[in-house]
Amino acid sequence: MRRYLCSTAAALAATTFAAGSASAQSCEVNVGAVLSVTGSMAAIGSAIGDAGQLAVDHFNEAGGVNGCDVNYILRDDQGSPNVGVDAAKTLVEIENVPVILGAIQSGISLPILSSVTVPAGVTQISCCSSAPSFTELAEEGGTDGYWFRTLPTDRPQAVVMATIAREKGYERIAVVHVNSDYGNSLAGNFEQAFEALGGEVSSITPYNQEQASYRAEINRALQGDPDSLFLIAFPADGATAAREWISFGGSQNMLLSNALRAEEFVNAVGAQYLTEAVGIDNAQVEGESVEAFNASWKEQYESDPSGPGLHTMYDAAAVALLAMEQAGEADGTAIRDSVREITGGEGEEVYPGPEGFAKAKELIAAGEPIRYVGATGPITFDDNGDVTGPYLTWGVEDGALVTLDTWDIERVNEAMAGVSEE
Amino acid sequence: MSGFGIYLVFFLIIALNYGIMVLGLNLQWGYTGLFNAGVVGFYAIGAYGTAILAGPDRAALIGGFGLPFPLAILGGMILCALAAIVVGLATLKLREEYLAIATFGIAITIQLVALNFESLTGGANGLVGLPRPFIDAFESTTSYNLFFLAVVACVTGLVYVALEAAVRSPWGRLLNAVREDEVAARSLGKNIALIRLQAFVLGCTLIGLSGGIYVAFIGFVSPLDFLPILTFQIWAMLIVGGSGNNAGALLGAIVVWALWTMSGLAISRFSPVGFQNQAGAIQTMLIGLLIVSMLIFRPRGLIGERATVSSHKERGAP
Repeated sequence: MRRYLCSTAAALAATTFAAGSASAQSCEVNVGAVLSVTGSMAAIGSAIGDAGQLAVDHFNEAGGVNGCDVNYILRDDQGSPNVGVDAAKTLVEIENVPVILGAIQSGISLPILSSVTVPAGVTQISCCSSAPSFTELAEEGGTDGYWFRTLPTDRPQAVVMATIAREKGYERIAVVHVNSDYGNSLAGNFEQAFEALGGEVSSITPYNQEQASYRAEINRALQGDPDSLFLIAFPADGATAAREWISFGGSQNMLLSNALRAEEFVNAVGAQYLTEAVGIDNAQVEGESVEAFNASWKEQYESDPSGPGLHTMYDAAAVALLAMEQAGEADGTAIRDSVREITGGEGEEVYPGPEGFAKAKELIAAGEPIRYVGATGPITFDDNGDVTGPYLTWGVEDGALVTLDTWDIERVNEAMAGVSEE
Repeated sequence: MSGFGIYLVFFLIIALNYGIMVLGLNLQWGYTGLFNAGVVGFYAIGAYGTAILAGPDRAALIGGFGLPFPLAILGGMILCALAAIVVGLATLKLREEYLAIATFGIAITIQLVALNFESLTGGANGLVGLPRPFIDAFESTTSYNLFFLAVVACVTGLVYVALEAAVRSPWGRLLNAVREDEVAARSLGKNIALIRLQAFVLGCTLIGLSGGIYVAFIGFVSPLDFLPILTFQIWAMLIVGGSGNNAGALLGAIVVWALWTMSGLAISRFSPVGFQNQAGAIQTMLIGLLIVSMLIFRPRGLIGERATVSSHKERGAP
């Protein structure tokens, strides 16, 4: 026992010494994260926590922020808003963090925003909260600009789809969607955009997941004589619905949501029925900056970064740290005001990874503008803190998934403007 | 004011508000023996009732009456009382675990209604942008939180004093009689069903009050706030503090909530970098371990119920 104690003490001393010598900097700055490490989102939460850690490690390797080591403090919200709010409050008041990353679920991010970060003037950047209520709150001025999210909202996707449908000459479209906040929101936004562009939505039919058959829903969607279908679904249920749609005589003019871009879906429906179909997906999963992130993730964790929220969490942390560097101080309001200076704009592009951050730090020190192109590609926050992402459209040719077209951010913004004017 | 002090104010607002809820449950379980496993359902009714009455008018929603908060909270409590009367009439015939199952189911139903009745509750998105009461009168968040703490402490104190008076009255002794031996109580000509309903409705109204205060403080409400885990937390507070004792109920609320949240702070302070993911799991285990050991080593709770001794007996006698 004594020997054990001795060795522990020695190890502790060694660790302390190592830590002391490793940090050449004299100061530390804390960055907080509130994520669901346990609870209902635990399956994805801890990997998302790792993604934040990776960004912080990369920044420390590049020399820290404003000459200080960055200390990443991850707190668990247990999937409960009350625990998450408390964790955020301790981060803000006791650990003095100028920025909070998180949370995952919208129902946790929002109370943190309204009761902790906005009153305290702390910037909050979420990787994963997709609810439209944040946009609503920001429009009313309820966020004071402290809210950002790196996950694209579904409105641009709906607008791009509506534009494509009109370009293809569809007049009356039926919408069948999965009954979840994702499906409801995408269907609602699509209807609005399609009607703004002069088309007509013949029906909107929600379906519940994991049913053996969707005959009733498909029959309802076929009423009103639609000339096309927008299917918002996940691959397994989507295949069931698409097969029934075709076998009941529905048109092969189909629009498919991003989650259906899977071979499983194409094989289950039959490629010969999908030659007219057009699908959409986020184009952020490709590009040089994305590769840079994927490679460093593999190096660190020896697996592919394939879970949800990893790319967006890395970017959330990177944007926070770069904004802090740009602001020159660890202050929530200064960070808020610097976020758009280091994203959008015309500055020199910098990529994820220690080299990218080192380059960014040099440029900032020299007073040059930078533009962070992240693990999710280029990022531009709008006035409400939402990002618009680039999209690609895909189809099926000779039984395989192919990319038909790409929509960069300018083109997406043009389409968005086209809808809001009318 | 130091950072820890500011946090402590925030912590006490939440903990004392839970204390009101635990007092409500204590009236039901500690004094009357009603196994209400649907605490969170009534909390949700109080919270949504308040949010709908106080919220701003929105085109997509039915509610949004923009009432001042004290009125809105009162409205939420009335809604909660009405709901408790309906639920009570339907379920209070049930005994013990049957009542628990029925009320548990009702709480889940209420949460699902909140999730799906979009035009009233905003569905999964919740109700955003609720005004924070009297915020304009304060310059800093800290002074506002201090004011809020004073209000919550006063309300909690009032509830405590009123409940103490009630349980010491003949009506309070009747509650105990119902809990201990219903047949005996009935044989004395008491209306058992009415007594049980009174205790249930009064307890649920207090739980609704707590929901209203929560909404006023947080400024947002969504179905995620009302998961069944909260019912478990409130029960843990009552059992750890000591059911059948109002001071125990309040103490339990503070102790268990401190354990629940500050353990996370402690663990994140002392866990080495790189093991932060595991810290969350350790925290959850620690909470469970402490509550279980509490039940094993001190089943009466921290304070526990006072022994009832006839006033005819001399003081100090066993």
